Amino acid sequence: MNYRRNFCLLILWFTGTCAGLSATHSPTLEDLRKKGILESSLRKHSNLPAKTLSPKVNLEQFESEIQPILKAHCTPCHGPDKSKARLRIDELNPNLVKGNDADWWLEVQAVLSNGEMPPADEPEMPGLDRGKVMEWLSGEIRTASITRRATGGYSSFRRMTKYEYNYALQDLLGLPWNFARDLPPEAHSEDGFKNSSENLHMSVTQLETYRRIAKKALSRATVQGPKPSVIYWGGTMDEVGKVDWQKQAAKVEKTRQELEGNPEAQEQKIEQLFRDFQKTHRRPYFKNLQNGHTVPQSWSYGGARHALNPTDIPPAVPKSAGHVAIIPQGARQKLVVELGEKIPDEGILRVRVRASNNSKTKGNIPTMQLDFGWQASNEGRALMRVSDQDVEIDAPPEDPHFYQWDVILGDIYPRNSVRKTSRMGSTPSPSEHLRLVNNSVNKGEIQIDYVEVSGPIHDQWPPASHRRIFFESSQSSNENAYAREILMTFMPRAWRRSIADEEVNQKLVLFQTMRNDCETFEEAMIEVLATVLSSPNFLYLSRDGADIDSEKNPPKSSLLSQHELASRLSMFLWCSLPDDRLRNMARLGQLSNESTLRNEVSRMLEDARSERFTQEFVHQWLDMQLLDFLNTDNKLDTSLKEAMKLETILFFQEVLRHNESLLNFLHSDFTMANERLAKHYKLSNIKGSEFRRVRLNQASRRGGMLTHAGLLAMNSSGNDSNPLKRGIWMLESFLNDPPPPPPPAVPEIDLADPEIAKMTLKERIEDHRNHAACMSCHIKIDPWGIAFENYDSRGLWRAEINGKPVDSTSRLYNNEPLAGMLGLKRFLLKNRQDQFVLALTHKLCVFALGRPLTFSDRSLLEEIASSVRQKDDGLRALIMEIATSKLFLSK
Amino acid sequence: MNPASKLKITTLDRRRFLCGTGWALALPLFESLSLSKVLASKEKNTPKRLGCFYFPDGVPMPLPEDPAYKDWAWFPRGNGNDFEFTRTMEPLQDLKKEITVLSGLSHPAGRNVHGHNNADQFLTAAATGSGDMTYNNSISLDQLYAHHVGDQTRFASLVMSTDGGAGTARGAHTISFNRQGRAIPAENRPKQIFDMLFVKSDADAAKQLAHSQSALDDLLTDTRRLKKRLSSDDQARLDEYLQSVREAEIRVQKAKKWLNTPLPKVDGGKLNLEITPDEPRLYLQTMFELIYLAFKTDSTRVASYQIGRENGVGISDRLAKAVGFSAAHQLSHDTKQQGGWKNFGTYCRFLHEEYARFIQRLGQTPEPGGDGSLLDNTLLFFGSASSAFHLSRNYPLILAGGKSMGFTHGQYLNHTNGKAYQGGWKPGDPEPWTKKATQEDLPLSNLFVSMLQRLGVETEAFADSTGRLDGV
Repeated sequence: MNYRRNFCLLILWFTGTCAGLSATHSPTLEDLRKKGILESSLRKHSNLPAKTLSPKVNLEQFESEIQPILKAHCTPCHGPDKSKARLRIDELNPNLVKGNDADWWLEVQAVLSNGEMPPADEPEMPGLDRGKVMEWLSGEIRTASITRRATGGYSSFRRMTKYEYNYALQDLLGLPWNFARDLPPEAHSEDGFKNSSENLHMSVTQLETYRRIAKKALSRATVQGPKPSVIYWGGTMDEVGKVDWQKQAAKVEKTRQELEGNPEAQEQKIEQLFRDFQKTHRRPYFKNLQNGHTVPQSWSYGGARHALNPTDIPPAVPKSAGHVAIIPQGARQKLVVELGEKIPDEGILRVRVRASNNSKTKGNIPTMQLDFGWQASNEGRALMRVSDQDVEIDAPPEDPHFYQWDVILGDIYPRNSVRKTSRMGSTPSPSEHLRLVNNSVNKGEIQIDYVEVSGPIHDQWPPASHRRIFFESSQSSNENAYAREILMTFMPRAWRRSIADEEVNQKLVLFQTMRNDCETFEEAMIEVLATVLSSPNFLYLSRDGADIDSEKNPPKSSLLSQHELASRLSMFLWCSLPDDRLRNMARLGQLSNESTLRNEVSRMLEDARSERFTQEFVHQWLDMQLLDFLNTDNKLDTSLKEAMKLETILFFQEVLRHNESLLNFLHSDFTMANERLAKHYKLSNIKGSEFRRVRLNQASRRGGMLTHAGLLAMNSSGNDSNPLKRGIWMLESFLNDPPPPPPPAVPEIDLADPEIAKMTLKERIEDHRNHAACMSCHIKIDPWGIAFENYDSRGLWRAEINGKPVDSTSRLYNNEPLAGMLGLKRFLLKNRQDQFVLALTHKLCVFALGRPLTFSDRSLLEEIASSVRQKDDGLRALIMEIATSKLFLSK
Repeated sequence: MNPASKLKITTLDRRRFLCGTGWALALPLFESLSLSKVLASKEKNTPKRLGCFYFPDGVPMPLPEDPAYKDWAWFPRGNGNDFEFTRTMEPLQDLKKEITVLSGLSHPAGRNVHGHNNADQFLTAAATGSGDMTYNNSISLDQLYAHHVGDQTRFASLVMSTDGGAGTARGAHTISFNRQGRAIPAENRPKQIFDMLFVKSDADAAKQLAHSQSALDDLLTDTRRLKKRLSSDDQARLDEYLQSVREAEIRVQKAKKWLNTPLPKVDGGKLNLEITPDEPRLYLQTMFELIYLAFKTDSTRVASYQIGRENGVGISDRLAKAVGFSAAHQLSHDTKQQGGWKNFGTYCRFLHEEYARFIQRLGQTPEPGGDGSLLDNTLLFFGSASSAFHLSRNYPLILAGGKSMGFTHGQYLNHTNGKAYQGGWKPGDPEPWTKKATQEDLPLSNLFVSMLQRLGVETEAFADSTGRLDGV
């Protein structure tokens, strides 16, 4: 009996072990993530070299140990007999400080650490040898990079980009308006960023545009004369639909008259008409609540007959409605509310709509979008969206609410250019209108019973933006003194530093010159302030050699001055000027204290302005302009495209906010979604247009940015996926290892060839690159892209293409297999964590410093990456590390 | 802001008026100007001029089987140096050796858009679209050239139209658009044009220039002070800004020079400056004459004139009175009626008569202080953005003048080989623009590239061009 029991125990133990073994044979992504962390060499990176006073190159070790290894394993292909990739490893100068081959050595380090070299079909390099070379190389790179910092590198001195200039004006003037529309857009640098110093130039055309924009912005922010009277429009659905109701009434009247002599037939016909009037419609329609009659809206521009009449006094809001308008769901379903020609040029137009949720299905909440448009003649017309976000119409029909939008009139382009010169009722029609759009994802219906519009709205007079510049002062009667006061407030904010007496005096001289010709004090002041905003002190993010407050920092220091640091911080985290508090701390020299600096960075990240950082950085890092340019169609509509964009940006923001690991970008168990995106991903029970955190399970086949629909869709070609685009994008954005550009004469794939037509995309690619010249680069690109093949041109999962099952397996350069997206993620989490962390750190630093990084920045970059790995890869921690790093604090 | 034709010049804010009408004055820095090379010395070369002209609603395109085809079809019969005009183009018969007719060109972005929307993009090639959507335009050919040569003359360009003002998006009353794609309002009153050119001097411009000068001085001081505090690498970067300020200052000097130069003396006695489009033939003659005078006195080297807006409904519709009809646009609709092609053709012929007169005038006037005639040194571009009914393909185009720039003329560059869409339309038919194209046009921007290059602009591209158009 013992034997049997022992035997059973033995079997149990055996199967248990096997189960245990098989468990270790298929680790989860989470397991791999943890394993990768433990094996990270960056994480174990020490900070020794920073303490070395005079770093020395280690040529002895190279000659005795490293050179023989390279000779044995590398020189055969990269030497005098064969020089693949045009690399002669035997000719590389091992002195990384004095020699010119530092960038090549970086390449060597990369391919050795990734296992790309030696290639899979060559004899393997023993682990010990590889380790020796790696260690020597890392040390030398660090040494050389530190030494070269003092001499080499790029400068951060640059002008502001278009978007930074716009934000700067917004913050300076206190208005969230689009001021910089007329500036030309920036190109992307090689690193992919718009704010890179190498790319930002200046021309006489641009100079004149800056001044013109500054003057216009100041004119928009300030006022002249008395407060303009407010114009009001109020419309019940009886009034908005007056033309349509009249037409219906005329129809009844016509029938009545036609059948005058025949009362029986008349009554019958009219009853028939009244029954017809009871039906619902597929487009926006009006409804009389008393008799249930409906009439669809047939708006036309001729004669401006649908326009509401404006009044000088606020119209009385009716308590209850006798008529309503119903807008069925559909982005094309728009109710027109015509307002005539009196809509002001500038200021805020307040639009209030009393509405409720008229959906038949419980749980459906419709969302409303606001458009502004006009039609002057048959062709002369335009329509554009003026609401930033859709508004959820959640009020029940028995208790409708007012929903409100504040529209920035001065930002609308084009307006109806004959609104002041043509007469109402004639053609061209000067009238303008609003359109209420039911932009719901689900079949929610919107019911409206009253619309009220008013403008220009000023909560105070003069407006806050005016008083920010022309503030109350005891000196206001003495023009020169007042001008000086205004300049002493405005200039430090604009120029982000203290202003010397001679600088103010110079501007006062300019003021006096202008004042002679200008009719008012304000007009002359605006000319001067526009000049302040055209000065290089405003336009350029300067590197002061001698700061005004130089007693706080010695001028010859390699560190940034306090004001320069404040500027760099606000450009990094807010894409704009420092605020008064940050400027003040700089003036008092408080930013040199590390813990004060950390607290400031925290405050800046908490501030709403840091959303600009998220938007701009993510958009540029991931090259999301490709998504902007993507054409919309029936399947990929505007709502979906916008939701796709927001998913990626808000995902980054969420990880930042909670200091979660940046490895979440490779794979995560959650994403950010709203109803529209959830519909696309087929995730259930997500209602409403707000984005929120959504848990993902394995079945969703999502997680991390590699499966974001928008990023997949933008790396596609028309109706099909594009593995090449995806591969290159992933290498560039996630591993900072972009492939070299294609050669000029690439032959086309002959799709007319019947053999080729039969192949799958993967087969075609393999066939196409089956040429020695193409193979060498493409063997490094294609396998990555093939892994994405299960995701189509709209980022949706597919198991088949044209009846054939999708083959998303591939082999990397070193023969490592990738099994689809899951395989790709496993590989990255297992082997490339360090490379990813370093890549993201690199990208953030390029953005933060506003310049490309070079070899001389390398060691400091590694320090930051290493620190953040030790802090569990927290994204917020990374930002903090960067903002307090030597790299950031130095010139 | 869009000043209406009704407003008098004296009651307007002059500065706004200057910005607001077709007068892109050669004011530097704070008005729009170009990026052209800064010339240290006065330009002594013979001027190179550009005139762009637009007429709406297309041209007669009867089918070959139609009896009206022989007399009234717009496009000539033949090809290359061997071609014949019909009665529509007959007024240009004597000028055959001075002109080039082109077919088979159009702007790709507008080919599937209803023709009435497309005056806006005739000189810009932008995707201005149609219907209830957003609107964006880009710089027009004439304004691009004006940036190049504008500071050589008192006025950078002259923008005119019969309907006046800017019109609206997709219903433009002008064919000139600035660098930001905004419509440049056109002037339509002969008296105002004459006064600006030859009578009134501009006190306001002097004030503007003085302001520019002061501001530039101030910016220069700022820059010098900042430069002292920078490393040498950073100084090099700031030099771009410094250079821009210097260029702007040179332009101020040039413009000031114009203010101090007396206006040209021109006898306006022969012109009826009170003429309106109610007397269409005289009105057109007067408008062309003003351009002629502006060119002759070198007041400007760039002019554009939109003879009529698309889709009638405006002043320009009444031009048909010259040949006994009330509405010009309606003629393009009534082609399938009795005598329809003839009527439409007769109106087109009238326009060509006045245009021919203008070309003759330039051809018979010697170039002041130079060689050849005014016409030899003036490139003229004349056409419409529609050929057949509402169809924005195969634009009817005529190039004239500019022989000193290398244009040979006397040819018909026929890029359609008979495959272009022909035929009228009657209610009930599907509209031609909704049908698939019968042949692939060349991009009109390619012609623009050739034109710009011959005008002396160093460029390889304009808007959506794919290269240059050879053979002109």
